[in-house]
Amino acid sequence: MTLAIVAVIAVTGAALGIGTYGVRFARTTSDLFVASRAISPWWNAAAISGEYLSAASFLGVAGLMLKFGASALWLPVGFTAGYLTLLLFVAAPLRRFGSYTIPDFAEARLPAPYMRLLAASIVLLISGCYLVPQLKGAGVTLRAITDAPYWVGVVIVSLIVALNVGLGGMRGVTYVQAFQYWVKVFAIALPALLLLIHLGGLPARAALFGSELPRASQPMVIELDSPQPLTFPDTGETRTVGEVRLAAGDAFPVAEGIAAQTGDQWSRPVAESGRGSPILIYSLLLATFLGTMGLPHILVRFYTNPDGSAARRTTVRVLGLLGVFYLFPAVYGLLGRAFTPELYTTGDTDSVVLRVPAAAWPGPVGDILAAIVAAGAFAAFMSTASGLLVSIAGTVSHDVLPGGRRRRRMRFRIVSVVGMIPPAALALATPGVDISVLVGWAFALAASTFCPLLLLGVWWPRLTAAGAAAGMLAGATVATGMIAAGLIGGVSEETAAGAILTQPAAVSVPIAFAAMIAISLRRPPRNVSAAMAALHVPEPVSP
Amino acid sequence: MSLPSEDLDRATPHAAVYLRRLRREQLRLALLSLVAFGGAIGALPLVLYLMPGLHDAHLLGVPVPIWLVVVPPFPLFFFIGLLEQRRADALDEAFRDLVE
Repeated sequence: MTLAIVAVIAVTGAALGIGTYGVRFARTTSDLFVASRAISPWWNAAAISGEYLSAASFLGVAGLMLKFGASALWLPVGFTAGYLTLLLFVAAPLRRFGSYTIPDFAEARLPAPYMRLLAASIVLLISGCYLVPQLKGAGVTLRAITDAPYWVGVVIVSLIVALNVGLGGMRGVTYVQAFQYWVKVFAIALPALLLLIHLGGLPARAALFGSELPRASQPMVIELDSPQPLTFPDTGETRTVGEVRLAAGDAFPVAEGIAAQTGDQWSRPVAESGRGSPILIYSLLLATFLGTMGLPHILVRFYTNPDGSAARRTTVRVLGLLGVFYLFPAVYGLLGRAFTPELYTTGDTDSVVLRVPAAAWPGPVGDILAAIVAAGAFAAFMSTASGLLVSIAGTVSHDVLPGGRRRRRMRFRIVSVVGMIPPAALALATPGVDISVLVGWAFALAASTFCPLLLLGVWWPRLTAAGAAAGMLAGATVATGMIAAGLIGGVSEETAAGAILTQPAAVSVPIAFAAMIAISLRRPPRNVSAAMAALHVPEPVSP
Repeated sequence: MSLPSEDLDRATPHAAVYLRRLRREQLRLALLSLVAFGGAIGALPLVLYLMPGLHDAHLLGVPVPIWLVVVPPFPLFFFIGLLEQRRADALDEAFRDLVE
């Protein structure tokens, strides 16, 4: 436990140190907003990957796999597919266009006074929704490894991130995030590989892939924080208890929202029914894939490349770096099923990555591996939170409050600190609330607004401001309405209707595209050739 | 077959023709790559659904469907990305050669 604290302090301290070093480079406005567009492809690729691999990737994929089964393994596929599409359609043109922020792009490509404000409010909404879970993750992780109160982790991460972004801006944050990518890959890969070598393969195969439920191998007592309704798979009854006593061979009772599955059911990435049914998988792939394309903190990264071709090369490297990372969450899901099945009873499946090393390899080695994993998780919260804060600070200081260059720099720094307060307050106010709906909403908004805006804005000269605005509003309204309907109706996510309502991209994105095209066709845009040339003419030629 | 750079600067109709051609070629390339990876990734759930027996085949003690979801999509993404980047840069290069 002390080891874990030391590892977390080492990683946060190194991040702060690199951030402070980056401050020396952060002198101009361009440094703060887009790192002076001077980041080389390898640094930028590591920084993008570092920013992108959030708590959802580091802890969430393995946690969902433990909870619901191997169908969760489609998540990384969708995340990475979104990146490939960004490379194909958006990376180079967006960089060439030379904007500072997404609202900047929206207004320059589609001249209308309301474009900038509309795009800016969507950026703030998405970034805010996505920032809260990162901070909550930090609170929960620190509590899991040190027993510190929940608020300590939230406050520490908020402070460090605000400091790094406020002082170093994009230029400083880029180096911090590149460092954090390597921390994360090391922290997830090394323990996974060492554990597999130590164990010589996977134990408890009947519960993993066969026809068995996870069962206690020896008598054990599981204490819960507070009495919870648990379902006992051996008898099928549900009781509210505060403590569970299991004899050897008893199946682990499951917390609310978890279904007891045999190894065979659990380990199928695709199944006849439930979460593995093909329609749910396609809905998940579409939602993650389209949502990734519209995440503002990812898009802003393309602006930091020296030119369009470098933006393409960066993105290819990102695909490689993400692929390396995503090989490993599945290892923790499998080991967690074998070594930490009590998480089914406590319901704390999201902590599986943090708990597996010590459970699978008791003793000092396991403790060291657990400390490494905890440090990686902290790097995940911090890097994603930094990226989101850069996009919030850039948008507020550049797009919402116009003004002179000098004042803009000061404002970027003030907004980085002030902008952290609302998400941090929300994270502090909701310690026990499941806020995964916020992440789903952020993805759905990104998919139904910026994804069509970018694709049509870059490739279709006839797009007009009115069309784009109508499409974004329609997409956002439909996506929000469907998520709200699913929440109010209490629809189960395991049905086709529930899947569509919680991941509305499959419906809202076509609606957004249709609205953009239909409204744009009513009247041709003016002076579009210069904008199209700026997007597509290769650099040395462009004026 | 050449494009004086003043034409490009002043966005003459002559330059617009060349530019539209470049844009269309880039778009065709991007759509082709999208179809390639969309087809492969889109087919995977269906293949696993239609062949449930695959689950009984194990590789290193882990069922084959898990391997298929965890490993091959990522190198596939990388190589499609690499190919597209090279082709797209080549198209840009060809356009540069046209400009005097």
